[in-house]
Amino acid sequence: MTTEGIIILIALSAVLFAFVFIVYRLVKALRMGKSEDRFNNFGQRVKSILVYVVGQARVLSQPAGIGHFFIFWGFIFISLGTGEHILNMLIPSFSYEAFFGTGVAVTISFCQDILAFLVLGAIVVSLFRRFFLKPVRLESDDPKAGREAVFILGLIFVLILLMYGIKGIGIIQGKVDGSSAPVSNIAANLLRNNLIRINVVESVFVWVHHSLIFFFLLYIPFSKHIHILGAIPNIFFRNLGLPGTLTSMDFEDETADKFGISVLTDFSWKQLLDLYACTECGRCQAVCPAYLTDKPLSPYRMIHNLRGHFMDEMGSLLSDNDKEYTEKPIVPEVVSKDELWACTTCGACVQECPTFIEHVQKIVDLRRYFVLTEASFPPEVQPVFKNMEINYNPWSFGYADRANWAADLDIPLASDKKSFDILFWIGCAGSFDDRGKVIAKSVVKLLERAGVDFAILGTEEKCCGETARRMGNEYLAQTLIELNIEVLKGYEFNRILTICPHGFNSFRVDYPQAGYSKPVVHHSEFLLELVKAGKLPSGSTGNLKGVYHDACYLGRYNDIISEPRELVSGIDGVDLIELDRHGKRSFCCGAGGGRMWMEETIGEKINETRVNEILEKNVDQIFTACPFCMTMFEDGLKACGNENVKVKDIAELLLEASKESEKGKG
Amino acid sequence: MKIIVLLKRVPDTEAKILINSKGSGINEEGVKFIINTYDEYAIEEGLKLKETVGGDSTVTVVCMGVEESTEIIRTALAMGVDKGIHICDAALEKATPAVIATVLAKAIEDNGFDIIFCGKQGIDYDMAQTQAFLAEKLDIPQVNVIAEFKISEDNKKVFLLRRIEGADEKVEADLPVIISCAKGLNEPRYASLPGIMKAKKKEIKKLTLADLDSSGASEEKKSTIINWLPLPKSGECKIIEGEEPGEKAVELARLLREEAKVL
Amino acid sequence: MNDILIFGEIRNGELKRVIKELVTAGRIVTEGTGGSIDAVLIGKGASDLSKNIAGLGIRKTFCVDDNLVEKYSTEGYAKVLSDLITDSGYGYIFFGATAMGRDLSPRVAARVDGVMFSDCVDLRFQDGRCIAKRPVYSGKLFVEIAPVGKIPVFITLRPNNLPPADSAAGETETEMRPSGVMEDMIRALATEIIPMAGGRPDITEAEVIIAGGRAMKDSESFEILGELADLLGGAVGASRAVVDAGYVPQSIQVGQTGKIVNPKLYIACGISGAIQHLAGMRTSKVIVAINKDSNAPIFERAHYGIVGDLFEVVPALTEEIRKLL
Repeated sequence: MTTEGIIILIALSAVLFAFVFIVYRLVKALRMGKSEDRFNNFGQRVKSILVYVVGQARVLSQPAGIGHFFIFWGFIFISLGTGEHILNMLIPSFSYEAFFGTGVAVTISFCQDILAFLVLGAIVVSLFRRFFLKPVRLESDDPKAGREAVFILGLIFVLILLMYGIKGIGIIQGKVDGSSAPVSNIAANLLRNNLIRINVVESVFVWVHHSLIFFFLLYIPFSKHIHILGAIPNIFFRNLGLPGTLTSMDFEDETADKFGISVLTDFSWKQLLDLYACTECGRCQAVCPAYLTDKPLSPYRMIHNLRGHFMDEMGSLLSDNDKEYTEKPIVPEVVSKDELWACTTCGACVQECPTFIEHVQKIVDLRRYFVLTEASFPPEVQPVFKNMEINYNPWSFGYADRANWAADLDIPLASDKKSFDILFWIGCAGSFDDRGKVIAKSVVKLLERAGVDFAILGTEEKCCGETARRMGNEYLAQTLIELNIEVLKGYEFNRILTICPHGFNSFRVDYPQAGYSKPVVHHSEFLLELVKAGKLPSGSTGNLKGVYHDACYLGRYNDIISEPRELVSGIDGVDLIELDRHGKRSFCCGAGGGRMWMEETIGEKINETRVNEILEKNVDQIFTACPFCMTMFEDGLKACGNENVKVKDIAELLLEASKESEKGKG
Repeated sequence: MKIIVLLKRVPDTEAKILINSKGSGINEEGVKFIINTYDEYAIEEGLKLKETVGGDSTVTVVCMGVEESTEIIRTALAMGVDKGIHICDAALEKATPAVIATVLAKAIEDNGFDIIFCGKQGIDYDMAQTQAFLAEKLDIPQVNVIAEFKISEDNKKVFLLRRIEGADEKVEADLPVIISCAKGLNEPRYASLPGIMKAKKKEIKKLTLADLDSSGASEEKKSTIINWLPLPKSGECKIIEGEEPGEKAVELARLLREEAKVL
Repeated sequence: MNDILIFGEIRNGELKRVIKELVTAGRIVTEGTGGSIDAVLIGKGASDLSKNIAGLGIRKTFCVDDNLVEKYSTEGYAKVLSDLITDSGYGYIFFGATAMGRDLSPRVAARVDGVMFSDCVDLRFQDGRCIAKRPVYSGKLFVEIAPVGKIPVFITLRPNNLPPADSAAGETETEMRPSGVMEDMIRALATEIIPMAGGRPDITEAEVIIAGGRAMKDSESFEILGELADLLGGAVGASRAVVDAGYVPQSIQVGQTGKIVNPKLYIACGISGAIQHLAGMRTSKVIVAINKDSNAPIFERAHYGIVGDLFEVVPALTEEIRKLL
């Protein structure tokens, strides 16, 4: 072996040893977390890797992701080249050509050459974005974060230049075939006449390049580029269930003195792995309704700070003898209470994250600790919980008044009918809120007209528990869910119909966890079904320009996007236009996650922000399919001083339109 | 310090209260029962006092009522109360404040006490008498409807603010004392889940009249409810008509004074 | 046991007006029993104040005024009353259902082994006994309650329910009476009366709330609500919209995310009545809505409504109530 070979062998061994040790510690630290089963459904997980790692599908969902695509693949091919070079230094007879044949070697070399050039371009664009375009998602109050990004991009830039230098010299020396490396060829041409001691220059390039590579390898785990290690496993272990799923809690152990998450080691290993996976791309932050309205919460910052905390504590966590060590509470040390309660659980952050980090689950887990263990939460929340406990609704209405809205309507009760096709779940808003009642009544009239065999639970219905659950009161939520299941099990029916996306989501994800799975349909789907079957007229109205606002728990969480649009645009006279933020990328109304019942005292109001966005479109009406969105917009419109634009639920609209069309016929 | 909190099980504030078919009371069907709202302030103040005084202080709730009152005692235990005493006896079903006070006094004396907190009134019968009868039986001072509570360094005296019409009355009282609590005194805590879990294992002492050896319950009945009357139907909103705002205002003032009797 | 005693409450050197209503109550009973009405005044200036109830047909007014009853104490006043009742054998003892009456009456009842009816709103005499009508379940129902057997009956009467007594013939004798109170009897003493800070009670405790909503133009316009509130000893409340607008502090916000209130009288001015507001004030005993929009949902919850501009109605209402009180 040459002297070079010996030096590189020693350096490589040392670096690899250190790297393996660091990774070993990172993995060991994950094992400090609680267990969580993410090993099911292997095939699906492999597919995730293909789509989201190899194919970079989520990364590419935004234009800036193209840069990452090049950097990612460039990195792989450059690494292949570096690997070849190093192996060649150790075993002079090694080359891809010698091992895999000319075809493979040429392909690798060519891809490397082209991709590396694209990476250079991507880096220039990235730096331009960061320094000149300054997009929302790259905003950070940690100056280290930006410096780190620039440092890494600069490092890669230098590495690529060096790579071209080395390859160029290789071409000059005839060691490399220039025909398969067009960019290196250019480098070779530039260098050819300007270098005197070409061998010295080459070895300087090689050693600087390899030193930087080694440095990079050891730098990765301590920088945001830890995502190179964390992202792929995190995508593999991603949540394969419905996006609205939250983990269920077990209250059987009566000796437990703590519930929810207060310190790092309360997180599951997967939740800790999330922290390694964050690229700090800030896509979550750019869509977060709390962040965009100047609340202290940014999902990016939360993950960034949690990772910082994790790294700071890792030494103590992994130490065996430090018995005195007590973990710092996450709240308020790392995440403030205001951040904790600012989240609407709209799920936009989770949806945007290219590495499938689960922000909402963490926030709910932290809330769980405060609600369940500390009984500490914003003061206005206490009556909400108490009302739900005593009267099964978030407002202070008596539970016996739940069916008052239906008093004169002669609606069949489940307790009378016992067996029927559709169970119409009214929900708290439909039962008690004056506006919500109008939606419930509209749906009833449409169901009657279509001859649907349905029934309501009347006073047997209780709050579905969705809000309590997302506010962190898992105990109350489970209590409500169990009470409802008890009642529901007493009747025979085929589907549950809801007018509230929150109840809808709850029946899809929360109730099955409690052992009750029943098909559930939202009224936007169901009414469309009836129209399509010819049981309801599609209706007509005077010329009406409107927008449909996607409720988070309907569109983003449950993919019901086309149905309400089809229903609304089927009405003759309606001119349905789209908002910039719509469908899965809709913007929250501000009511989710229990925010409906909390004060919004910091920053802009989310509902007013959304209303202003809508008003820019100069519409006559806002169509909603969620009673909470409706309340938020009606409030928002009043606050904006707009008395002309009306908010209508799609059921109200359809009912009016069908009346209108009949009048037309008459 | 032995802190006693009195507890009563009452219909929920939102419950529909209707007269039963016999006209002998309310129809309890479908009515949710809760801890008397004002008693929650008493529990909270008792717990706060325990935290202030420390040592081996205990908070004991004493509740007289039907079997189901166990539920509200458990709620109090979940909030952090140490022990429950539940006096349950069919003979006490329609007990008057005088009888209730006699029975409670016996149970409280048996347990020992330094201070007693209760709600300013039960939101069922709204009588606000039991605390005074109890104070008389125990021969201790009473302070009603308090909105602020402080205890002296030596734990022998309390300094209170008592809400009276349009003002606060500063009251000083010696321990032992019975104090009835009003809204505004504190914000009752929400029971934590570990609290709820622990409450399942805490002691609730069940007592009957025989256990208390109390002659009070055999006392002659001194009053009787002869009629239960529903509220006159308020019906729809009375929209006040009139030519001009001033006229409407005059009529509204008259109605508020003569019909609604709120002025 | 045929005679009745009425308690005249002295606060801040004045005799509370409810005493004239107690005389009316006394007459309802004495018409049945044929007995006489005596009164007792305890506290500073008792004998001077006794003149205020001359000419109402009261047989005798006892005045108790020494340094141990100068300030109110339950025990001191209870001693005076129980001695008097034991000495004279009254069948009925009336108090106003005021802070003092509600505190004192049950204590005396306990001491003399009597029975008590709290917060009565009406009385009638039938079959040789007085039947009292009183609200229960926070005013959701009423009961009529009557004493059993020959025992002293204590009744606290809510002010403004019976008409004040008009003048009646007969001389009223005034008798100064020693309190009989010893210093060590008083273990709880009212040391000072502090008028409410800022003159207005907290909205959660106020018996009257005048609340303003979106129709309020700015923080200054709340002054017209404040004027009415002060007149009625009440508080000013607000809906979320005006709190959000920064006109008034969050501490007076009524509603789901604000304060839950339960006053006797709630006057909603320019408040539409969204669910979040209703959740905070729905249980108020009497709700008055003043709103320009006759379709505002608040009218569905209100007992009395005026469709009109609050800036015209409220000042007129204040003026009228000032005349009435």
